[in-house]
Order: sequence, then C-alpha cells, then structure tokens
Amino acid sequence: MRRLVYSVMSIAILSAAALMASRTGYTAQAADKDSGAPYTVRDGDKVDPKTLDGWKTWRALACERCHGAEQEGLVGPSLVTSLKTLSKEDFHTTVIDGRPDKGMPPWGASEMVQKNWEGLYAYLKGRSDGKINPGHLHPLTK
Amino acid sequence: MKKFYALPILGAVAVSTSLCLSGIAAATDLETSMSNPSNWASQAGDYANHRYSTLDQINAKNVSSLQVAWTMSTGVLRGHEGSPLVVGNTMYIHTPFPNNVYAINLADQTYKWKYEPKQDATVVPVMCCDTVNRGLAFGDGKIFLQQADTTLVALDAATGKVDWTVKNGNPKIGETNTNAPHVFGNLVLTGISGGEFGVRGRVIAYDIKTGKQVWRGYSTGPDDEMLIDPAKTMTWTNGKMAPVGKDSSLKTWKGDQWKIGGGTTWGWYSYDPKLNLVYYGSGNPSTWNPNQRPGDNKWSMTIFARDLNTGVAKWVYQMTPHDEWDFDGVNEMVLADIKMAGKDVPALVHFDRNGFGYTMNRATGELLVAQKFDPQVNWSTGVDMKTGRPVVDKKYSPGTTGPDVDVKDICPAALGSKDEQPSSYDPKSGLVFVPTNHVCMTYEPFQIEYTAGQPYVGATLTMFPTPNSHGGMGNFIAWDPATGKIAWSKPERFSVWSGALTTAGDVAFYGTLEGYIKAVSTKDGKELWKFKTPSGIIGNVFTYSYNGKQFVGVYSGIGGWAGIGMAAGLTEGHEGLGAVGGYKDLAKYTTLGGSLFVFSLPDAAAGRTASTN
Repeated sequence: MRRLVYSVMSIAILSAAALMASRTGYTAQAADKDSGAPYTVRDGDKVDPKTLDGWKTWRALACERCHGAEQEGLVGPSLVTSLKTLSKEDFHTTVIDGRPDKGMPPWGASEMVQKNWEGLYAYLKGRSDGKINPGHLHPLTK
Repeated sequence: MKKFYALPILGAVAVSTSLCLSGIAAATDLETSMSNPSNWASQAGDYANHRYSTLDQINAKNVSSLQVAWTMSTGVLRGHEGSPLVVGNTMYIHTPFPNNVYAINLADQTYKWKYEPKQDATVVPVMCCDTVNRGLAFGDGKIFLQQADTTLVALDAATGKVDWTVKNGNPKIGETNTNAPHVFGNLVLTGISGGEFGVRGRVIAYDIKTGKQVWRGYSTGPDDEMLIDPAKTMTWTNGKMAPVGKDSSLKTWKGDQWKIGGGTTWGWYSYDPKLNLVYYGSGNPSTWNPNQRPGDNKWSMTIFARDLNTGVAKWVYQMTPHDEWDFDGVNEMVLADIKMAGKDVPALVHFDRNGFGYTMNRATGELLVAQKFDPQVNWSTGVDMKTGRPVVDKKYSPGTTGPDVDVKDICPAALGSKDEQPSSYDPKSGLVFVPTNHVCMTYEPFQIEYTAGQPYVGATLTMFPTPNSHGGMGNFIAWDPATGKIAWSKPERFSVWSGALTTAGDVAFYGTLEGYIKAVSTKDGKELWKFKTPSGIIGNVFTYSYNGKQFVGVYSGIGGWAGIGMAAGLTEGHEGLGAVGGYKDLAKYTTLGGSLFVFSLPDAAAGRTASTN
C-alpha cells in the first residue's frame, strides 16, 4: 500500500500527497515553527538573493522532471501541497538523504544543494504560499 | 506450421545450434521463429521493424467481434512499454523496474518460470522520471533482459536460469537502460540511456553464447572509438554521398564537451541480413542548453548504419545538427522495400522527433525524402535536400535567443511529433502507420554545470496541445514513404504513445493514453473496434497464433514521458488550454496499472470467416 501511495502519479497527486503527509507523521505544527516567511517577494517574481539562488538550484537540478514545472506534482508529490506541512528540518533531511526507493535522489553530494538548500526551501515555501509565481524569477533590485 | 507448436523449445534450439556449428550462415532459432507468424519472437516481429503480421483470421470484416480472451497482472504499476514475446507455446512477459520476467504456458496461462532480479533501488532516481523497460529479446534458446541498472542478462528460455550476465554501464554517472536488447545473427546488441545526465552514447554488441563484447561504437568522440572510418564511412554531402573525413565528431564540439555529449541509444534497432547492416538512431546532445555546446555536435541526432560483424559505420546522417529542442534521433528505422517513381528502392523510413519523416536508401545512405509528418511543425521551414540540413526558423530557436529567454509556441514539443512509440509498415498498402504526438512547447535554456550522476538538463519547458488545431494532443496517421505525404490522419485526444501493429487482415491496431486499444481500417483510418483497458496504453500491440487461433495483445499501464507529462504546464494559469483538453484531462480517464490484455474472436466469428473464405 505504501508503495502504491508513493507511486501514484500526477493525476491523483493531491490525494497522494495528503496521504503521504499523514503517513509520514508530518503535522501542521511542524509548519508553525516557521512563522515569518523565509523569503521576500515583490510583484510575484522579484525575490531576495537567497530565494533567487534557491530557484536557480531548483531548475539546475531539474526538480521539475518529477515535481512538475509549477511544483504541482508529477511522479513526485506536489510541493505546493507538501510544503504546507513539511517542516524545514524534514525538508532538509529529505533533500539531503533523498528517498531513493521512491525515486527521490539524495542531493547531499551536490555543492549547489549544500549551499542553497535554505533558499530552495524559501522558494518552495513561497510557491506553496501562493506568493511566488511559477516560472522565471528576477532579483528584487531589477 | 502446426508441427512447430508441438516442438518443445529445447528441441528447436538444438536444431539451430547444430546448423550454426556447420559454419554456414544458417537460419538462427530466432530467424526460424520469426518466419512463423504464429510467433512474436522479437519486439517488432521481425528484423526490419515492420510490426506487421501475415495472420488474417482477425480482419477488417470481423474485428468488431474481438473480445477478451485472457488477462494477466504484471504485479507492477508504472509505465509498461514494449510487448511480450511469443515463441512456440510460451509467452515471455516483462515489467518496468524491478524488471521481472515471467514465462507463461499458453495452454493454461500458468507460470513456467519467474525471474525476479535484485537491483539496487538507487538506480530509480537516476531514471527519473519513469522506470519503463521496452521488453525482452529471444535467440539461441535464451531470453535477454536489459535491466535498468545496465546489466544485460541471458536467461535459459526453458528454465529461466541465468546463463550469463554482463554490465554495460554505470548508474553512478547517470547511465541506465530502458531499451530492449536486440538479437541480430549471433550477436546481442544493446545501448544506453542518460542523455539528461551527460552520458556518452554507444551501442555494444555481445556474443550471444558467452556475453563477451564483440564491438562497441560510440556516438561521439575520436574516430576509432566511434568505429568510423574517415575514408569509408559516408554521409550525405552536397547532394551526394562522400566520406565523413578525419575527426568528423571532434571538430563539431567545443573542447571535451563530447565526453559528456549524449547521443544515447535507447530506441528500436533494425537489421538487414542481406546488407549485413544494423540501423539505429542516436539521441540528443547534452546539455539541453545549446549555447554551452557550439557546433553541430556530431554524431548526436544521427541515423547510423553499422556492419553487424565489425560495428564499423557504413554511413551516417545527422538529422538535427546542433539540437536546440531535445529532438532525440532514436526513433525506429523501418526497413521497407518500396517503389519510388517506378523504381525499386531498398528504403529506410524514419519518423523523427523533429517532425520530419525521412526516406533514405538504406544501402547507400542517400537522402530521398524529408517531409513534415505533422503539418504544424514550425521550428524548421523544411529540409534542404542538397545539404540534408533542416532550415531553422530563428523565431523558434532557443540557441539564437540565448539563455534565460522563453521561446514560445515551438512545435513540436521536446517529446517530438513522435517519440519511441514505434510505427508499423504494411507491405500490402505500402503505407506506414504512425502513432504521433501533437504537442507544442515553451523552451527556456539556462547555464548548467556538469556533475557526474546528476541531471545535466539546462532547460525548463512547458508543453501544451498544438494551438489552432483539433485540440487533441495526438494523431494516428498513415504515411506514404515514397512521396512523403500523409494518406490519412485520425485525431486523438492524447498523444498516441503505443506502438502500432498492422496485419494482413487490413487492420491497424494501437492503444491510447485513456486506455483504449483500437482497431482501424488501413484503408481510411475508420475505427472498427475499441476496448477500454484499466490503465493508459503505452505498450506496443502484438499478435500471435496458438492452436489455430489468432490473438492480439497489449500491455495496459500508463507512465513513461507521456504519462509523466500529463499535467505538465497545465494548471489553471494557462488560459485557453483547459477548454481544448490537455493531458490534465487524462485524470478523468485512467490511473496507473500493470496488466496484459489478450484478445481473440469468439469461435463463431472466427469460424464464420473461415467458411466464407
């Protein structure tokens, strides 16, 4: 069953993500720790340098191949949904160690991820919050 | 023919082995099996990639009576590409990762043996995003499985016991396999996947008896490693064939980029025993950001014709020099003897991701026809028949606009006007029946660093149904390879990601992403029958005969790029697409699955046909 839940594709991804969240014990409380947005955004597509580096990391590692161009979920879960409940700590663990049996690579060996994982979290949190637009981002100063 | 059914497999093998030992190029057990239409002994049913059967018990008149004969669960969800094999009284089925193999007794649909490999699951993320496998090969009394982790396994066809294994790649640097192995003569050929990980493509030939490597030809790099003879390997040059010359690949790359330059080899290969040439295509150059790899990037995106014994390339033809769109050249080469302007031509017919249908002289490599097989293709205005190069429309050229710029409305999308889903050649009509995509894209390249084993893509893209067309994302077409014209085209709501089959019964079969298997008339594309399977179909339709009865079968199990792409770019924000129905709509029709469906006629319908005949 667990395997089935995780391998359900985009077409059922919303329910799958919900199931996954409850199954792995993530709770709403985890998200509460992160009060105060980890990103700064203007006009939906101008972000602080850290968040910008997070977005660049997102596209360089081709995360959209599994999670969708707009984080809506494909073979991998919707991050718009997941980031509503996933704590920053659990996010870090998942990105660094991966979930190889489910297809999520361990990114611990990537310098770019080591350097920018917090920015990546900020970017995805902004996407999940509906504050950051999908697609290309620009520096705030521009 | 009846006698053959009674022959146990081991008996057949013993016969062919003794023939081989005689030292003459006698028919192998695979060739003997393929010559009997009761079998489906190779993925295409033959060496030539025809996917055509002379069986005609099921035909245009009675196909509407087709019904389920039996089904089987594969036990694995995710994308099911390829098809089973049938040899004598046994069917061999395969699954996506973990790549299980089952031998089924056709008499009672019980398992004769099972082979369930233990593969390191860390290969799965490298295969991102789907874990398809395009099927098995048969030959020399063995079943060949090309595992995802790049291990090629030879199993005893009678017992499932491992005879030999060989590893042809390294998943740690992004090398995996999805392709079916191919048995040609006394060699087993396989390739490599990983064009999105900077893998350097090659085809490797192994001795069928021992698994010992006989040759390996790379797609890029120094001449000797590509098995290219600068003076003898020919290519289409200024309207005629000419030698490629020294360092034909090295000269077309910046520095050492060719070492991580892609040109992977995961398609359906074919073989002409008379010419002793093997044909296949190489994939996209890595990365997807064209600005990082100036030059033509040879020999990515190329049709290769190699000598089976030595691997040396007789001719090459690059379809998309300096790719800017991910138009892999791996799609199948169909070897068809056709008439062009009254002349017999040993042709090679190829429907490329780039949207052009090519007809070449497969003996010489001459370019004969290059025409769009989807009229909506816009990235190129046409192929210059003298140079053989596509004329690129700068408006749709991400290499021209440069990194970090969205290039909009490029047709086709990266998955091409057609992807791996193989076409079928019907010698009766002389037409090729082609499952196609009808999808366009926005493409934005960006600078990317190479790290071994990590994605090396360097572009983001969104895909959507071809604007200003019928609203669907696919067509099933009939193509005249002699003239390069569409004979008829049947619109489909989604990409047709299932391999076609044609038969002497004047029927063409294919599956749809909604899960229908359909039969249409080869004459006009009129739908004669359809049946809804539990999941979307991305497998290839096959046919065989057992105890005098013809069967048609297909895997049902959505996935692959088409399945993954189902929701790509299709959120509410993309106005104008929802109405016409994009991949997103697929959720209304189907979900994951993993089963085999086999159909036949009710005895009455089959019998009635026999008596009227």
